[in-house]
Amino acid sequence: MSDSIWQKEITAEDILKVFGLLRRGFISLAKYIIDPIRRFISKLGYKLAIYVFLVPSLGFITLFYLVPFILTFLIGMTAMDFTFKWEWVGLANYIRILNDSFAPKIMGNTLFYVFTTLTLFNVGMALVVSLITNHIPDHIGSAVRGIWLLPRITPSTVYALLWLWAARGEENALINWFLTVTGLSMVIPTRTWILDDPWVIVILVNGFVGTSFGMIVFTAALKSIPEDYYRAAKVDGASTWDIIRYVELPMIKWPLLFVTAYQTLSLLTSFEYILILTDGGPGLYTTEVWSLYSYHKAFRSYGGTVEIGYGAALATILVIIGVIMSLIYWRVFKFKEMMVEPKIEV
Amino acid sequence: MRRKGQVTVQALVFLIIGLLVGAAIGYFAAPKGDPTLLDQLNEKDQLIEQLRNELNEIKDQLEQLKQGSTITLKVWAIGPDPPSEYRYKNFELAADILNMMLKDLGANVTVEIEGQFFARPVEWEQYRQNFYQAFAAGEAPDVYLTGHEDIGYLAANDFIIPLDDYIEEYWDLIYYDFFPTLWKSVEYAGQKWGVPQDTEARPLYFRKDVLRQLGWSEEEINALPEKIKNGEFTLEDLLQVAKEAVDAGLVERGLVHRVKEGYDYLQFYLAYGGQLYNPQTGKMVFNTTAWGLTLDWFYRAVWEYGVISPNQFSGDWDADFHGPFTEGRALFLSGGTWHKGEWINKGLLTEEEFIEVVGYALHPAAKPGGKPVTLSHPLVYTITTQARDRGLDKLAFIMITLVSLPTFNSIHAVQSAHLAIARSQISETKYSEDWFLADVAYMLEYTTFIPNHPDWGKYSRVVFDALRAVETGDMTPQEALDFMVNELQSQIPDSVEFVE
Repeated sequence: MSDSIWQKEITAEDILKVFGLLRRGFISLAKYIIDPIRRFISKLGYKLAIYVFLVPSLGFITLFYLVPFILTFLIGMTAMDFTFKWEWVGLANYIRILNDSFAPKIMGNTLFYVFTTLTLFNVGMALVVSLITNHIPDHIGSAVRGIWLLPRITPSTVYALLWLWAARGEENALINWFLTVTGLSMVIPTRTWILDDPWVIVILVNGFVGTSFGMIVFTAALKSIPEDYYRAAKVDGASTWDIIRYVELPMIKWPLLFVTAYQTLSLLTSFEYILILTDGGPGLYTTEVWSLYSYHKAFRSYGGTVEIGYGAALATILVIIGVIMSLIYWRVFKFKEMMVEPKIEV
Repeated sequence: MRRKGQVTVQALVFLIIGLLVGAAIGYFAAPKGDPTLLDQLNEKDQLIEQLRNELNEIKDQLEQLKQGSTITLKVWAIGPDPPSEYRYKNFELAADILNMMLKDLGANVTVEIEGQFFARPVEWEQYRQNFYQAFAAGEAPDVYLTGHEDIGYLAANDFIIPLDDYIEEYWDLIYYDFFPTLWKSVEYAGQKWGVPQDTEARPLYFRKDVLRQLGWSEEEINALPEKIKNGEFTLEDLLQVAKEAVDAGLVERGLVHRVKEGYDYLQFYLAYGGQLYNPQTGKMVFNTTAWGLTLDWFYRAVWEYGVISPNQFSGDWDADFHGPFTEGRALFLSGGTWHKGEWINKGLLTEEEFIEVVGYALHPAAKPGGKPVTLSHPLVYTITTQARDRGLDKLAFIMITLVSLPTFNSIHAVQSAHLAIARSQISETKYSEDWFLADVAYMLEYTTFIPNHPDWGKYSRVVFDALRAVETGDMTPQEALDFMVNELQSQIPDSVEFVE
């Protein structure tokens, strides 16, 4: 029987019938399913749309930020090692941090590193470079900014190794050679920089990379200050310094605060250059920062055992500090106002 | 499929047993003109007859093997010094010979070695990390070479299998000949968990040319190793001589030691009468007095005598360890026998230069008349539990047995300047030609091993932190001692016993 159906010749009438059926089907679908949904959505209106649009980013945040943090927090309450077993120890790791002989020194290192790199380079130098390049002919300014971007685009290992060579103790190593030929060695004696002044190298290396981020943001903000403001200032007899002080700095206040907040958090967790340059040395935890300490505890042990649980607890502390810092910045710098309306014309 | 594969592995295992038996027959039957070997041969006639019968049985079984296949064995080994590459390469060599034999016998089965030899810049820490991650992913090697001190942790956490039955099975063929002390290094909880791969001694090297410049006569220089052996040259003398050389401007550094965490410096604790392990209690030992004296010695070496750099532990292997000594800028070097191999291989010293300017001795005793020390750190082949799960544990052990034969092991020992693991290896052609290895062999009488304890890594880290802190001046010896006691008591209170 079934054979006879399939063997039947299909006519144009049959095709039309099928189309008719499909059409009625779609109409019913729209009437009974899609229309009610549309009406429901329009009823919920604007608010729902916001949430719908937020779903992808919330999903990513959950997946890549919230879940790893929860995992880190939970691992921090275990004695996990290379067996990767969840052996619960409650708050033992946190109590150990409180009693850790090196924790105060490492926390001090971290604060020193973040504060110094931030003020001298990531915000300070970035601001200076942006302001100077904004006041010199644009083609030269762009070239200077391009050069400042080089550390950022150089692979981090290559960049750090170049510094290691430059900072060696020989007289012909780059830094020592520079000090000698410029005569600066009379004031700053040549030395083996990594051993004698490790912090100088650590901060320079991180700072030269960090400067470029702020420089780009500040330059973009400076470029968007309307030309009229400059003209008006000049008509009033303002000097370059006056323009910087009374026009540019107030106009880029918000990008300045944003870069400060963002780079603080970034520096708190960054350790890759320190790892390559000094590995936390020389000596006893001289340049060890909290994130590097967490890494060392979790992944490094000559004797064959590691303390992933303790490392995770240390990392959790860092996350908590980061959140607290964010909240402080949020309130002190009034980020809420910044989010409401743009303060400069774009 | 699994059943067929298992049959193939079993058949291969039997075949290899046969080959080993054959190799043993050949070894004993070959005319060597050595009366002791002929004596051994006569004693083993009965065994050989028994093994011949087994071989015939295996051949019969092989005839039933219809399908050809390749069995892959995954092996991981580390130097990290590059000359130790035969820890891995010997498996390839052994597999090649095995496959040739298999082919000649008409067996349609081959053994393939897959794996890796890890050398610098990969260091022990990364190597271990790679292993544990591979294990977690179910991709662990079948044969894993590691330091013997890992055995406690690996065994306690089910990473490796005990090998007593296998070792027993092949005892009369090869393992009876191993130096008995080496078996102690693979024991944990009353079982053997590995096969010793090599060992070494840690000599105190000294520059003869610098001593000559200090006014030492040739006789005095040549007598130094013997004086140290007899306890007539102590750690205090070492400080004194090193200081003289530094003060005279002959060298920049009196003594260089390793630049990273390790075990060499434990020898100073041992020299002061310290003990690391108590086999009766199964606990690690912390001798407060010995550690106090050790920390004090290092403190004085850096801050009073100025013979060790305060940043020695932050140095670079080439710039702060090999370089200063091989270039004559340091008088003493606390190193290992393998460093001689490394210097020659790297071209830092020629064999002739080494003979001319370098001397070597045990690490001196702490007090006159005391016992000098050295430390050995045998590396061992282990078999993972994942190899057992794959049904490859027996094949893995047979391959370990093959590479443990004196011929194979001597290739490694000579190239990397490690010491023999078996007595008959001393007379092996290649090995016996190496005068240095023969010269340092006596040091094994003074050696100690580090403990096979699951918490050894934590003990070791605390020691390193304390010594580093003393050398950098961050802690006084007393502060460092308090720190060590506090850390060990809070981290691993049940694993350490404290003695005065």
